[in-house]
Amino acid sequence: MGPTYGPSEGAASVRAVLRALRDSGLTPRAAEAMLEVQRAADEPPRVEAAVPVEGAALEVRAVPGAPVVGFVAFLDGIQRSRVLAHAGPVPLVHGAVAAAVRLRTDRRPSTWESPVLSQRLYAPLGRLASDVVRTLAAALPLTDTESESTEGPEHPQELAARALTAVQRTRESAELTLVDAWVARGPGPLLVDGGISGSAAGSASDRVVGVVKSHRTLYAAPAALPLVLDLREGERTTAVRLHTPRRHAVATWYLRLRAPAARGPLFGLVRVEAALGDDLTERADRISRWLLAERAPVALPDARWDVMVYGVRECEQYLSAILR
Amino acid sequence: MSTAILGRVVATERRPNTPHEFHFWTRLDAPVGIGTIVRVESDRPVNGVLPRTYGVVTEGFGYTDLATPLHDVLGADGDPALASAAPTERTEIRLYTAAVLRHVPEEPLQPVAMGTVHLASEADVQAALRMDGYASGPQRRGVPVGLYRAGGTEAAVHLDADFLLGPEAAHLSISGVSGLATKTSAVEWLLAGIFAHLPPSKGRVAAVCFNVKGPDLCFLDQPAAALADEDRAMYAALGIPAAPFGRVRYFAPWTAKGDRLATLRSHEALQDAVTPLTWGLRETLQYAEVLLNKDDVDAKADALIDFIKERVVDQPFTDPGFLERAHEVRSFSDLEQWFRDLLRGMESRNTEVWRTHHVATIRKVRNRLTNISTRCKGLVTDDGLVSDLPFKDAGFEDRTVYVVDVANLEEDAQDLVFARVVSQLREALEKRQLGVEQVVVFVDELNKYAPADGPDTYVRKMLLDIAERGRYLGLVLFGAQQFRSQVHRRVVGNSGTALFGRMDPDELATPGYQTLAPATKARLATLEKGQLMVRHPHFGQPIFVRFPRPAVLTGREGVERFPPVAERPLEEALTAQLRRLDPTITLGWVQDTLALAGDDEDGVLRARNRTVQARPDDVKAFFRAQLRKRATPEVAGRRAPAPLRTPASDDPYG
Repeated sequence: MGPTYGPSEGAASVRAVLRALRDSGLTPRAAEAMLEVQRAADEPPRVEAAVPVEGAALEVRAVPGAPVVGFVAFLDGIQRSRVLAHAGPVPLVHGAVAAAVRLRTDRRPSTWESPVLSQRLYAPLGRLASDVVRTLAAALPLTDTESESTEGPEHPQELAARALTAVQRTRESAELTLVDAWVARGPGPLLVDGGISGSAAGSASDRVVGVVKSHRTLYAAPAALPLVLDLREGERTTAVRLHTPRRHAVATWYLRLRAPAARGPLFGLVRVEAALGDDLTERADRISRWLLAERAPVALPDARWDVMVYGVRECEQYLSAILR
Repeated sequence: MSTAILGRVVATERRPNTPHEFHFWTRLDAPVGIGTIVRVESDRPVNGVLPRTYGVVTEGFGYTDLATPLHDVLGADGDPALASAAPTERTEIRLYTAAVLRHVPEEPLQPVAMGTVHLASEADVQAALRMDGYASGPQRRGVPVGLYRAGGTEAAVHLDADFLLGPEAAHLSISGVSGLATKTSAVEWLLAGIFAHLPPSKGRVAAVCFNVKGPDLCFLDQPAAALADEDRAMYAALGIPAAPFGRVRYFAPWTAKGDRLATLRSHEALQDAVTPLTWGLRETLQYAEVLLNKDDVDAKADALIDFIKERVVDQPFTDPGFLERAHEVRSFSDLEQWFRDLLRGMESRNTEVWRTHHVATIRKVRNRLTNISTRCKGLVTDDGLVSDLPFKDAGFEDRTVYVVDVANLEEDAQDLVFARVVSQLREALEKRQLGVEQVVVFVDELNKYAPADGPDTYVRKMLLDIAERGRYLGLVLFGAQQFRSQVHRRVVGNSGTALFGRMDPDELATPGYQTLAPATKARLATLEKGQLMVRHPHFGQPIFVRFPRPAVLTGREGVERFPPVAERPLEEALTAQLRRLDPTITLGWVQDTLALAGDDEDGVLRARNRTVQARPDDVKAFFRAQLRKRATPEVAGRRAPAPLRTPASDDPYG
């Protein structure tokens, strides 16, 4: 992530950015769809083998016992990125990020501590005229996206993609901040929407569980893949170790929340991330029971309702409401 | 002024705020409901002033983030029990719509600003309903109508006497279903409030109540059988004594048989406050139009009736060409003799026309007029004896209720009583001779007397006249009805104040209620006894209030505690009636006296009526003299005196 300039976080609302752009002599462009919507899939789907840590090979296991409520809170983050103007070929992107933990008390969620909010202007500052940078910096918090990639073409879409990556990292950073805070002060098990391997504290804590809903990468040896895709409702795979160079090692397993019927092999399938440890089978079963208990209420009308627990949807709605 | 924040104003493009309506959300457990008064505080000054808005909740919405109920069914596998066992409650909202009661400052009139919403305090209620202008201070003229209660706030709600009794506006309309709407109780409560709170500067006030059914108003001077502590607390909070009316006068006609008064308040212990209501020819003929419909009386008959009223009644009348003797018509029996003499004269002269009046018209008018005393027997007397409300000589007393019991009269007779009493009140008020400056006339079943449809009767015309012009005279109409939509719209439209008890849902579906929100209608349809919705010129919107049980005996309890006297022989009835004037009178004395008078029952009743009215010092002598007046001619000539009767051994009064 590049250096930042200007006023404190959260000051750059779209309106403030537009005003600053006009002051800089730039012409804001007509509103377009958010970059998150425009952007095509950035990597092809793939299958990647992983090392089993619960037994010698990947196996299917029925989650024992009845679903039971275990999570006390839910963490989610959202982002919105939009090109507001161009300085020559350089897109100026407004990125808004929010993350929060919603603590469940007596079945009702409320915000734990404070949400993290950020609204900034993302651009390769070195490609802009210095007076424009000065004018913008005086009015807005800026993030330089040049350091995202030191070399490369000046194609506007590529520059926009870099900005989007920077916004995404800001969101991840916001989420990690909350995960770390939760590990330090949180009162019980936290369900994080997404992986937890980015957080050193989170990936090592038995009070943080990540739930990944999308499956562009399936972590299973090719031979074991049918086991994953044929999981029935209430079944899980045994855990494997997930470790990538820039992330922390975690245990992960697949769990079928809902019967797929004729909806396809990924329907109702989530990948769970938790800290590695000796008692993994017992913990994975317990966490799976917690997740199965979260199937109600359903997260409809969200399109991802088959894999999204309602607590995460509620958190997302909350974030959408406060990110104006 | 600042209290805990109850909610927050919200507005969207699809559901914007306006100068007369706004929306706010609250916590799920916020103590707010339909009818709750709230205060909105904005932090954005207008013309240097932070605007405040008062509103009353008229509608409420609650919904979740579900797009369709089917999603909830799917999520719970069709089992409601599973739905309620879900670990997280769905996001839910309580969204309320409030109608604006008042903006402070009033100008510029803008849409309600975004701001915090607070439960109204007692002072807020005063301000919201503009009661700060008349319920306190030197110009105090508030009349309590009830207590506003919501969210822990309790505040007295006052009506402005200038808009309830005039002259600014006047009249009251109270609507609601029978038995549950507490219409009669509400009027009793309001009258108690008027008597207790109307300031001396507003003059003297009395009430005339027509008891049109059952014993509803028959025990206004008797204390309630039991008054709950909560009721007593409300009386205390509103500064009204929890006591029955101090001065009540009852008026009731005799029964057709004449042996007792036609009222359910006929128990011996309560008779002192009851006065017979009887009218003679002059009083009745003046309102003959009430009893004679258009089919009965055409232009020709009308002309003859006018002639009789102006040239015959209460003055010597001679016509040697047709009448055998001079007549002075003062009673129905005199009138009958006049007709008989006239028709005989026409017959003997073999003519069909007398003073342009055809014999058929004369016979028709004779038939209709003399029939009145039969149709209204007990109220209308043949002999012209009048016992009436104290219309003359400033006879009405301040803070007094005059109950006219017409519940046991035929419909025609009820109309006659109503028309004459109200007309006399109007005349006396015009001449400033009534003794009070303002009279509240309470009429139940107004849909019967002033119906929206049907013939244009004398009574309806009179009610319209009161509704439209009565306030200038101090004649105020308190009308009650089950269905407001069935009352003439000029009558209800001229009612400055309207009270609503529990309403029939079908009635609420009529156009007159289309300005009410569905939730307000739903509350109206389920109001408990003792709750009212109030409309008043100072209130920007209808307000819900509570009022206590009246501190008077209810009709049902009254009849149980004071059972009406049963039908009994004339002699026993007479004894009881005369004993109230002279306790030494016994059944034996009455029997002996009547024996002397013969069997002329009408004569006995006439003598009784005159004695009761005159209240002489020597009751026995006076009664005997009255008997003699009627009995002597017949007894002297045709009948021997009856033997003296022996007093009955089981004389209940001896």
